[in-house]
Amino acid sequence: MPAKPLLLSSSPHLFSAVTTRRIMLAVVLALLPATVFGVYLYGSRGLFLVAATIAAAVASEWLFRLALKREPSVGDCSALVTGLLLALTLPPSTPLWMAALGAVMAIVVAKEFFGGLGANPFNPALIGRAFLLMSFPAAMTSWHRPFAGIVDAASSATPLNLVKQGAPLAELFASVGAQDQGSFYWQLFLGNRSGSLGESSILLVLAGGLLLLALGVIQLWIPLTVLGSTALFSWLLGMDPLFALLSGGVVFGAFFMATDYATSPLTTKGKLIYGLAIGLVIALIRKLGGFPEGVTYGILVMNMISPFLDRLRMKKYGYVAPKKPAAAKEAAK
Amino acid sequence: MIAKTFKGGAHPPERKERTSELPIERVSPVKQVVIPINQHFGAPIQSLVKVGEQVRRGQKIADAEGRMTVPLHASVSGTVAKIESRPLANNLEGPCIVIEAGEVPGGDAFLPPLDPFACSKEEALARVREAGIVGMGGAGFPTHVKLAPTKPIAVVIANAAECEPFLTVDERTMIERPGDFVEGLAITMRIVGAPAGLIGLEENKASVIPGLEKAIAERGRGMDIQVKLLKTKYPQGGEKMLIVALTGKEVPSGGLPMDVGCVVQNVGTLVAMTEAFREGKPLVERALTITGGACSQPKNLLAPIGTLVSDIVASGAVRIAEEELGRVVFGGPMMGVAVPGYAIPLQKNSSGVLFMSRKEAAYFAEGPCIRCGRCMRACSCKLSPALLNGALKSGNLDEAEAIGVLDCVECGTCSFVCPAHIQLVQRFRVGKQLVRAKKQKEAKNAR
Repeated sequence: MPAKPLLLSSSPHLFSAVTTRRIMLAVVLALLPATVFGVYLYGSRGLFLVAATIAAAVASEWLFRLALKREPSVGDCSALVTGLLLALTLPPSTPLWMAALGAVMAIVVAKEFFGGLGANPFNPALIGRAFLLMSFPAAMTSWHRPFAGIVDAASSATPLNLVKQGAPLAELFASVGAQDQGSFYWQLFLGNRSGSLGESSILLVLAGGLLLLALGVIQLWIPLTVLGSTALFSWLLGMDPLFALLSGGVVFGAFFMATDYATSPLTTKGKLIYGLAIGLVIALIRKLGGFPEGVTYGILVMNMISPFLDRLRMKKYGYVAPKKPAAAKEAAK
Repeated sequence: MIAKTFKGGAHPPERKERTSELPIERVSPVKQVVIPINQHFGAPIQSLVKVGEQVRRGQKIADAEGRMTVPLHASVSGTVAKIESRPLANNLEGPCIVIEAGEVPGGDAFLPPLDPFACSKEEALARVREAGIVGMGGAGFPTHVKLAPTKPIAVVIANAAECEPFLTVDERTMIERPGDFVEGLAITMRIVGAPAGLIGLEENKASVIPGLEKAIAERGRGMDIQVKLLKTKYPQGGEKMLIVALTGKEVPSGGLPMDVGCVVQNVGTLVAMTEAFREGKPLVERALTITGGACSQPKNLLAPIGTLVSDIVASGAVRIAEEELGRVVFGGPMMGVAVPGYAIPLQKNSSGVLFMSRKEAAYFAEGPCIRCGRCMRACSCKLSPALLNGALKSGNLDEAEAIGVLDCVECGTCSFVCPAHIQLVQRFRVGKQLVRAKKQKEAKNAR
């Protein structure tokens, strides 16, 4: 007979090696190229910004759980992901205390108040960003050109800002050091422009997104529909669809924010509608809204609809349409 | 050949390589067997023998009237020592007939051979019942009931997918006895009047195909029997998944395979049918795989029904590393039953016994649902497990029923893939009982 008591539990008796923690670490890995590039563009300031948000996010989750005598959960690494995501969506010149405050808002208010991981209705990192944007609009809309150092004199508008202000094409091209349309797009694709810390290089953000797809962490539906519908509705509203994708944070948002598990629909049908609607809201905000960029609010608005989209369930195996009640049949005769 | 499959599923580690090359060995004669009386799905049966009575191997020792009953036979010759309640492989206790093995005059008491292709359909069905044959893949459904469908059958499917990790007994049976296997399929086709037969097996067993093709030519009676490859994916051997992969048809909710013109039979069951007709041999022994990380010498074995697993271990046929042993499972690791010890008898539906190491049997606490959707994509019945879990946790049985908890086949793929180790299928098992109880209560109140 066995030396120690045998484990008894209901089947299955095998489990996949993919755990919550491993998924979160895969997201961190996928964000690394864009993060490293951000530090390269803006120097040590970029690194400090990342460190401040991550430290504040992890510490606030740990303290909040400690204060409420709940199981510690920093081991799942989701606070790490939230902190990193927030840093990458902030202007590089954001004061560190401000960035840390945003991270605390993201973790405590947007996530823990609702019950923690998986229970939050809104994307925590985007709530943190939206909170900072409303509270400190000046700091959150002052941009710096890469390699120029973070000094006030070097501040420069993002390409989206310039378009919103109705700047001439020449000025727009000059903002990224391009002479013609082709090299302008190419510079935007590489990320040589002012903008948030991690959003600018479409190339590296795409590389991270493709890694998540390859690892099976995300599915193609949401990024594809967000990007497609942003381009489509931008075009319908009279804007340049390619510029719409290459400027701003829509690629970053499509792969890393809109795909957030807790705040996006579970079924494929739901994901398609969700992605399409996000693109529409982004295009509308960019065209008609007060802000030049609409990714943050586009995703947050659709987060609200996400639980309803879960009602669009899959057709189950062997589904038989329910028969009409006998009374209704009788009446029909 | 392009491998067919169903939507969803997962890829648990296969771990079949340790036993897939090992021939099926007969266990050395046992001193006693403990034969559970009720091994079939249906109505209970009663013992026909008394303590002290001598019985011959193959002699009927329990039976009852009624359609959903299957008789039981002595698996060794000897003397009935006790009739008492014993712990069984399903973690319940049940009445068992304990036989001390010994010489009994007359030897085996098998039935006379019967030509399944010459006798009448009724005679054939009666033989299947008299031989005590039940589905040997797990459910123990009476085979004579399955072979008397009330709807026309277009195809008989031999379920050779063996999608449960670790188990290799079906593969070995097809390698060693392809003729008996194919003939069993031909007999089944003849009984149900099906014009076509399909053998569905996963790609990891593609090497058995030449042997099967030869057997079809020699023992297939010229019937239309084809071998079809399936993707190696769990739960490919689930009846519903097998049918949709091979025929493209879905068994309607609450229905049976015959509703889409199919009958599905397990490999072991088909071999047992051939034996029942050719040799008149009732179902008194079965082949199974004994393996697992704590099993240092795994085997494919042929053992009498009622053999205690502890006796097999004591005989030295398999070796167990006791200090590493974490979990003992009857059946495969995905749907098998964990038991508290192994002084438990083998049944007609015991396809394997796993001695899992502590590392293999690691158990995880439930984390919060991160809504990653892995269960949604893996569910072989497309039931939205994450939503079902939410409905059951909040006690919303109406919602659980609407999502389809009663359609769950309990394959456990959702729990396997969940990164938060949420006990999805475990909660659905309880949920099914709750929803059924609620429906019964409502039906009662409505009357």
